[in-house]
Amino acid sequence: MEQHIADIGPLQLALGLIFILISGLASMAFSLKLEKDLLIGTVRTFVQLFIMGYVLRIVFAMSNMMVVIGVFAFMIFFAAWTIHGRVKDRQIRFFMPVFLSMIFSYFLVSYIVTAVVVNVKPWWEPRYFIPLGGMVIGNSMNAIAISLERLIRELKSRRAEIEMKLCLGASSREASQEILKNAMQAGMIPSINSMMAVGMVFIPGMMTGQILAGSDPLTAIKYQIVVMVMLSGSTALGTLLTVLLVRKRCFNKDEQLVLRPD
Amino acid sequence: MNNHTIIRLENIDFVYSECTTLFNNVSCDLMEGGFYVVRGPSGSGKSTLLRLLNRLENPSRGEIYFQDRSFSSIPVHELRRQILYIQQTPVVTDGSVKDNLLLPFSFKNNKNLALPDDDQLKKMLDDFSLDQVSLEKQARNLSVGQQQRLCLIRGLLLSPSMILFDEPTSALDDESSRIVELMAETLCHEKGKTIIMVSHREFVPRLVKPIIIDVREGGVCILP
Repeated sequence: MEQHIADIGPLQLALGLIFILISGLASMAFSLKLEKDLLIGTVRTFVQLFIMGYVLRIVFAMSNMMVVIGVFAFMIFFAAWTIHGRVKDRQIRFFMPVFLSMIFSYFLVSYIVTAVVVNVKPWWEPRYFIPLGGMVIGNSMNAIAISLERLIRELKSRRAEIEMKLCLGASSREASQEILKNAMQAGMIPSINSMMAVGMVFIPGMMTGQILAGSDPLTAIKYQIVVMVMLSGSTALGTLLTVLLVRKRCFNKDEQLVLRPD
Repeated sequence: MNNHTIIRLENIDFVYSECTTLFNNVSCDLMEGGFYVVRGPSGSGKSTLLRLLNRLENPSRGEIYFQDRSFSSIPVHELRRQILYIQQTPVVTDGSVKDNLLLPFSFKNNKNLALPDDDQLKKMLDDFSLDQVSLEKQARNLSVGQQQRLCLIRGLLLSPSMILFDEPTSALDDESSRIVELMAETLCHEKGKTIIMVSHREFVPRLVKPIIIDVREGGVCILP
């Protein structure tokens, strides 16, 4: 089934930069001030992906379970750090809850997909585990950041309502139930929407890659379906765990909201 | 007012943002059935005093006692049910007047309380001059003054022995303010509830003799 894949030479790769150049010129012409970010973004894309390519080559060649898990943990650490940077509030220490929720839920989902659904032996086979795990992390990272940001913002802005309920005998869980629901929904909606639109509105990146690499579209869609449900599952699980753990930190044992308004 | 102490503050310090001291070694007794009016310059800690009494905040040092039981030995939801806190701005939720009144009964901690029926709710509305308001009306459509009374009734359904009012009239016009103040007086005078009210309005209670709590410069002083 596999066909010969056309490799991209250095010259062709450089030609791809023409589009960035055009965007840069447009930015200058219209004073959009995007040139610097475009340049940094382009350089980072090149550098990070090249490093990744070489690292993956080494990891694939080593074929060692601990190394695979180490790479996976490092990717999650980096994602948790990115979320930490995106959510501006610093009153509550939420790095560890985010990191632990991500490790737990992503590992669980990635393991089930490689070991049970795709049935790879061994389950940590780097060629499967790392790219699939990476997609899980990259996609649900956004969802977690959105939920977390929403959770903290609403806990601050709806303080009077939370305290009203606490004063009437509610537990902190009851008092923040609706806020938790809103935060979860805000995080989940993009991945639910993409399940609705997939195949109708867009061809997902992974499937495109497989088709370009010569796979049968039917094989590609099966992988894509697995990936889509895996992404939704891991997003839901990761988001839920994160907001539950972080909410717990926003209240103390005396049912007081310790998160202060700005 | 009888001569039983309902609240005792013992050597209370309250420090916030790690360096600003609001209360420094405060000790005082509040009597059951008293009508207390809290006065003091803004930022002196009047609201914080109420929040400490309702345990929305914990003191940095010292202990508070309610009916001779230390706060830390009373389950917090039970304490908050006994010491009702009425916020400065009334907070109602989506839904009808009845939904709002029954909100406290939806919480697990209040499951053992008897659910009031429509007649009881209606009577409460009548008692608080809300006889024109139907139970089905959307609570958010009430005026601020009506919402404030709704919040008071909602809390009273939990039969508190003490009610803390945090500037309840700051968002109200004169007439509504007077109604709320009269309600507070009546609750003290007729039902024997202990009332503590922070008020920016010069108001002279007619039914009860108020006791002034003066809060300033880190201290709390009960004026004779």
